[in-house]
Amino acid sequence: MKKIILSIFLPALLFILVISSCKKEENVEPDPTLGLTKQAEGYAVGAATKVVVYTKEALVYTGYNKFYIALYDSVTGKRVDEAHIHLMPMMNMGAMQHSAPYDNPISENAANHLFPCSVVFIMPSMGGGSWTVNLNVHNHVSDKEGELTIPFTVVDPAKSKMKSFTAAHDGGKYFISLIEPSAPKVGINDMEIAIYKRATMMSFPADSSLLVTLTPEMPTMGHGSPNNVNPAHTGNGHYKGKVNFTMTGLWKLNLDYMAGTAVADTTTQFFEVQF
Amino acid sequence: MKKWLSFLLCTSVCFNTLAQKNISITTDSLHIIELNELTVSGIIKTPQQHLVNFFKSNNAATLEDILSRLPEISILRRGAYGMEPSIRYYSDGQINVLLDGMQIHGACTDKMDPATIYIEPINLQNLQVQTGNSGFANGSAIGGTVNMKMIEPQFDCHNKITGAFNSGYQTAAKSVYESVRLNYALGNWAFAVSGTYRNSKNYKSGGGEIIPFSQYKKVNYSISAKFQYNKSTYFKADFLADDGWNIGYPALPMDVGYATAKIASLSMHNENFRKRLYKWQAKIYANSIEHFMDDTKRPFVPMHMDMPGFSKTVGAFADGELKLNAKQKLLFRADGASTFLTASMTMYQAGQPNMYMLTWPDNRKNKYGFSASWLLQPDSTMQIKLSGRTDMVLSNLTTSEAKNQISILTSTFNGRADFLKNISAQISKKIGQKIKLTSSIGYVQRMPTATEMFGFYLFNSSDGFDYLGNPSIKPEKALLVEASVIYNVKKCRIQWSGYYNRVTNFIAGKIEPSLSTMTIGANGVKSFSNIPFTSIAGAEFSVYIKPQNAADIVSTVKYTWAKDNNNNPLPFVAPLKNITSVKYQLKKISVQVETEAALKQSKISKQYGEDATPGYFLIHTRFGYITTIYKKEVELQIGAENVLDKKYHEHLDWGNLARPGRNFYIQLKIAF
Repeated sequence: MKKIILSIFLPALLFILVISSCKKEENVEPDPTLGLTKQAEGYAVGAATKVVVYTKEALVYTGYNKFYIALYDSVTGKRVDEAHIHLMPMMNMGAMQHSAPYDNPISENAANHLFPCSVVFIMPSMGGGSWTVNLNVHNHVSDKEGELTIPFTVVDPAKSKMKSFTAAHDGGKYFISLIEPSAPKVGINDMEIAIYKRATMMSFPADSSLLVTLTPEMPTMGHGSPNNVNPAHTGNGHYKGKVNFTMTGLWKLNLDYMAGTAVADTTTQFFEVQF
Repeated sequence: MKKWLSFLLCTSVCFNTLAQKNISITTDSLHIIELNELTVSGIIKTPQQHLVNFFKSNNAATLEDILSRLPEISILRRGAYGMEPSIRYYSDGQINVLLDGMQIHGACTDKMDPATIYIEPINLQNLQVQTGNSGFANGSAIGGTVNMKMIEPQFDCHNKITGAFNSGYQTAAKSVYESVRLNYALGNWAFAVSGTYRNSKNYKSGGGEIIPFSQYKKVNYSISAKFQYNKSTYFKADFLADDGWNIGYPALPMDVGYATAKIASLSMHNENFRKRLYKWQAKIYANSIEHFMDDTKRPFVPMHMDMPGFSKTVGAFADGELKLNAKQKLLFRADGASTFLTASMTMYQAGQPNMYMLTWPDNRKNKYGFSASWLLQPDSTMQIKLSGRTDMVLSNLTTSEAKNQISILTSTFNGRADFLKNISAQISKKIGQKIKLTSSIGYVQRMPTATEMFGFYLFNSSDGFDYLGNPSIKPEKALLVEASVIYNVKKCRIQWSGYYNRVTNFIAGKIEPSLSTMTIGANGVKSFSNIPFTSIAGAEFSVYIKPQNAADIVSTVKYTWAKDNNNNPLPFVAPLKNITSVKYQLKKISVQVETEAALKQSKISKQYGEDATPGYFLIHTRFGYITTIYKKEVELQIGAENVLDKKYHEHLDWGNLARPGRNFYIQLKIAF
């Protein structure tokens, strides 16, 4: 009996193993940039590194933009998966210039060959003002460091994704960016905003001090939705919660901000979401 | 394998409720109401039957008109059309409304289309009403069953077309009724077709006020074929279609653009009283309903919307009766049905994107049930009946769109399985020749409806709240106790039934103060939840007197009492109501006077926004004349309903909508 079982099962097991190992070999690694849009590429002079910047959206918008940076050795063309990247966005308006909030890549190790990071462009490009982002790249493979400045054309999205207010409690200027829901649907949606406070014209550190209250509203009908979760700080100025949409159409995400027991924003800021 | 086969064979036998010729055991808790004269013989006439005989004095009556004559049944009314039957206190998911044993689920989230609206009396042979303890044989229910038995093709006249033509007119709604039924038999085959057309305008209430949006139009047609295979076996195929359009619901904010139903079945029947399994049938069926709500004809609508709904059911069942010995028999039924429901709402506002949501997120219910009843007659004066039924019900959402939407109410829903149990015992005893006592006790359960589980901001215009479903709501359970006395003397039959039900996990709307309403102008949001218990009690009394051969007097009284665990009255409880009918038949002429009276209902549910309903007293008169012209039977019926032109509404009518005022009707029937 045992022999029969063995004689049946062993070849079967081998067969499965062979099949699955064959499959693995056939599996070509998917392109990590699939579905992303290439915005710019250039060489970080001094680091011997080619830099390619991708975004999720086709254009670069006012507000929060997620960047995915791919690095290549400029000589061999091989991917560089270990590097330090430091961002510095800059708005140049001739007479004056200012920076914007940003998140550097969290890790010096690439995730799926890409370094995710973000920039919050706090205004669109216009006649007298243009945006650049300076990238300081320290290639850990070659241990060389270099810089690259990339110009960006920033346009306003159809529905604003960034708001700002001057706080009542400390007089500071706060910038709020809507990150999620990026693909809204009827049902439960992730809600994510990022809050930065202007320290100087060149420094916009992440803020973790505010209490946020979310009240979705359908302005056409004057109703809200149940069981929402207020965005709460999770790290680096990012606040995460849940928003529920009970139907398709135009929704307003009303947001109120408190600093402890003090009202931070005396008006109610809102983001519009339409789907 | 053999075991399985024998199990299947066993289960393909069943409970059939028609009275038998050969077997003396009958049940009193079942009322069969004849609708058409082609009915098979052997049905015991109940007082209800006499009351319903008014139907024969007005062949244009709708199914709801007929149902409303039965003491156990009240009608929830939202307009002149689409009235919802309720048995004692129970309605909707608490009762079964079946067509020839088939499950049919309405496609409207606002209960505008109970299955009864898709059936015309002309389609039916009889109505079978079962209450409480015997009402769960065809499906787990706490309130009972209305089974509409479809008319069958007849073999009476060989190779000859027979039938009847009806034409009628009613003044209150300027309504026209035309119907025809034809029968043809040839060899082993018999065919029947029927067609009905109704066109009703806005009706006048008492005092002459016209009720806007109470119009409707419909056609109904059916075709059936029967093949007699041998002496004891025949096959039958039925198709019934119903199309209604431009249907007004004055008590609701929306009307119906069109509602259409298609119902088909194929069955095999066997009857051989020499056999132990003396009667059985097996049937497969499918039906689909499309229902489109419409508000484009209403003035001052804040926002126009479309609300289509769809319902599709496929199912099969087998039932039979087994003679164990001279004193015992066994009734069986095994059934399965799968129902898919979906409904959505699209709102339109100029300059804005359309707003769309699912009101019944796509869902499917698969139900598998088995029931059995054991009847024992130890001697000629006593009868014992034990019944049981189990149902396995699997409910799930079928699309990711539906699941996403329900995730708003409950973070995870991956379907639910419910196992329902129903059991009852009944004993009846004759005392002398005149008195018969029956008492019964039972424990029953019912499945929450799709609306109660998944309904999404369904507006209830009766209490003005938006209702949210609760996917984890528990099934309702009830303890039922019932007793009845029948007293028979020569020319008089008196029947009294009293019942007490304690329903636990009763499903009711709970106010959710933190939620915002979806419907513009709604009072708030309620979600379905289980309240600990409710008590429902009541009594029905009927007397039938035949003082002389030509005269019949029937009178029925019903009373219902229902309170929740906080001693608050439940909504939609009918007050004490009496219908009395006196009929006098002279050879060809019949005269009938009927009174209908209800007391004031002041036990109201403030929670549900109810107000007190005043009592009323109505008089109806009916005249009939039957004669033969050229060998064709011709029947002329004329009558006046609500002769006093009283402006009134019943407590169960939504929005205190006044019922029709004085209504003259004329009706001609030619049988050939």
